[in-house]
Amino acid sequence: MVARLKPVQDSELQPDIPVTVVERPEEAAPPAPSAGAMIVFEAVGKIYEPNVAALTDVSFVIDKGEFVFVVGASGSGKSTVIRLVLKEIEPTSGKIAVGGRDLTRLKRSKVPLLRRNIGCVFQDFKLLPNRTAAENVAYALKVQGEGGNAIRRKVPEVLNLVGLARKMTSYPDELSGGEQQRVSIARAVVNHPPLLICDEPTGNLDPDTSVGIMQLLYRINRAGTTIVMATHDREMVDKMRRRVIALEEGRLARDERRGGYASE
Amino acid sequence: MMQRFRLLLTEAVRSLGANVSTTVAATMTVLIGMFLLGFLIGLSTWAFSLSNHYKHELVVKVFFNRDANGAEVNAVRAQLDSSPLVKSVKFVSAQQGLATMEKTNPDLFKGSVLPYNPLGPALTVQPKRGEDTAKIASALQPYPPGVHDVNYGRKTAHKLLTAAKVIDVFFILAVIVLLVSSTLLIGNTIRLAIFSRRREIEVMKLVGATNWFIRGPFMLEGLLTGLVGSLAAIVLLVLGKELALPRIMPHVIRASDIHALPFTLTALIVIGCGLVLGAAGSGLTIRRFLQV
Repeated sequence: MVARLKPVQDSELQPDIPVTVVERPEEAAPPAPSAGAMIVFEAVGKIYEPNVAALTDVSFVIDKGEFVFVVGASGSGKSTVIRLVLKEIEPTSGKIAVGGRDLTRLKRSKVPLLRRNIGCVFQDFKLLPNRTAAENVAYALKVQGEGGNAIRRKVPEVLNLVGLARKMTSYPDELSGGEQQRVSIARAVVNHPPLLICDEPTGNLDPDTSVGIMQLLYRINRAGTTIVMATHDREMVDKMRRRVIALEEGRLARDERRGGYASE
Repeated sequence: MMQRFRLLLTEAVRSLGANVSTTVAATMTVLIGMFLLGFLIGLSTWAFSLSNHYKHELVVKVFFNRDANGAEVNAVRAQLDSSPLVKSVKFVSAQQGLATMEKTNPDLFKGSVLPYNPLGPALTVQPKRGEDTAKIASALQPYPPGVHDVNYGRKTAHKLLTAAKVIDVFFILAVIVLLVSSTLLIGNTIRLAIFSRRREIEVMKLVGATNWFIRGPFMLEGLLTGLVGSLAAIVLLVLGKELALPRIMPHVIRASDIHALPFTLTALIVIGCGLVLGAAGSGLTIRRFLQV
């Protein structure tokens, strides 16, 4: 899916270009959610030890192909939702299904398989510092047991897609924040996961760079990948006008098809 | 399979190279621990064989009356021979006894000739274990007919056995303490090395690496560290053996039956411990960082 996208041109990622999705509403129309749900939360509750309720009775369904923002103040439970989807933690109550698989019944030994089907992008990029951009991307393929030939073919392809064809041999500390985030996006999508989870992907980036990252994510979503993004970026959410799931103190406060950061 | 192993090896070698300071620290720790272990194995096995050497010098002497007849001597001899504690029984005739005495105490025989041989025949009993001399002697109580005295050098035997026991216990404790402390030390160094890479492990987990995919290179790394560290320790031990020992040994008691464990065996134990400590240390330590 992702591999079929045409590479991002440098001009397309120039900071002064506004987010095109807002200006051309016909393109902004989300792809019709395909049959079947990608993520299902059914009355999910999570209590951290000793007695901190992070989520209380949260239910929602995210369909395949959707682009969903999860918003809320710090401590509202956004990261808990993400950690639950990745099965980093277990819910205290309720049921979670990802891609039709019931996570509460998924064995720990199957968690790596689950994660190979979920791309992850984080605020702090989480790149391996002693590997080049290409090696960071290649690592995700190696984990799946891909052979050398496939790796040599796919890595330049995906780095080209995120506009980093010329930075393949650079180490993370030689790249700007925006470039590092693009490497992390390349790593997240190189396996063509049906679901991409982003935890504040623009949190550490300046507004202009954030626009480029959002454009890239938008393009990935257009190719059919479901995207769930936890964010604080009010401006971005308001511009994109996508589905917004708002959390307040661990409860579902709002779930709007084309919402803004704050309720209107 | 081959590809999997190559990947494992390249990942291990790459992270060894990328984390030079922790690699060196871990190797040095293994080196020190394994050198001390090898040294102590040599010293303690030497000390054990020394104490055994002295224990073997403990014998029970059964002295017969001058007029004891052959039947009486044979009866006692048969009784001793049948004892499971006894290794061998040697008959010493009165003439032999006198000759030995003359040899060991020539002063007593200076200037005068004995009118007759005052000694009777004797039996020298070699026990299987030096500690059993007292038991063997007490089995001859009350003295069987013809027996004049049973002697096993009670005070000397007691002192010697106590000294031997102290040596044994001391070295066993020393080896245990060393093994435990070097395990902790090596474990701690490995833990620090892995702790500094916990983010790396977290990322690996998040992109869907299985626990064994992550653990494999770490364990191989530990194995290589253990191998290099213990090989270096063996080099030091060989140097010590070739350079220092020849200068020390002439000043220490020597006997053909006092020797340390063969060096090859010590070296194998040292390498084995190094490998196990390195690999198992990494494998176990990483467990707690895999809970992501």
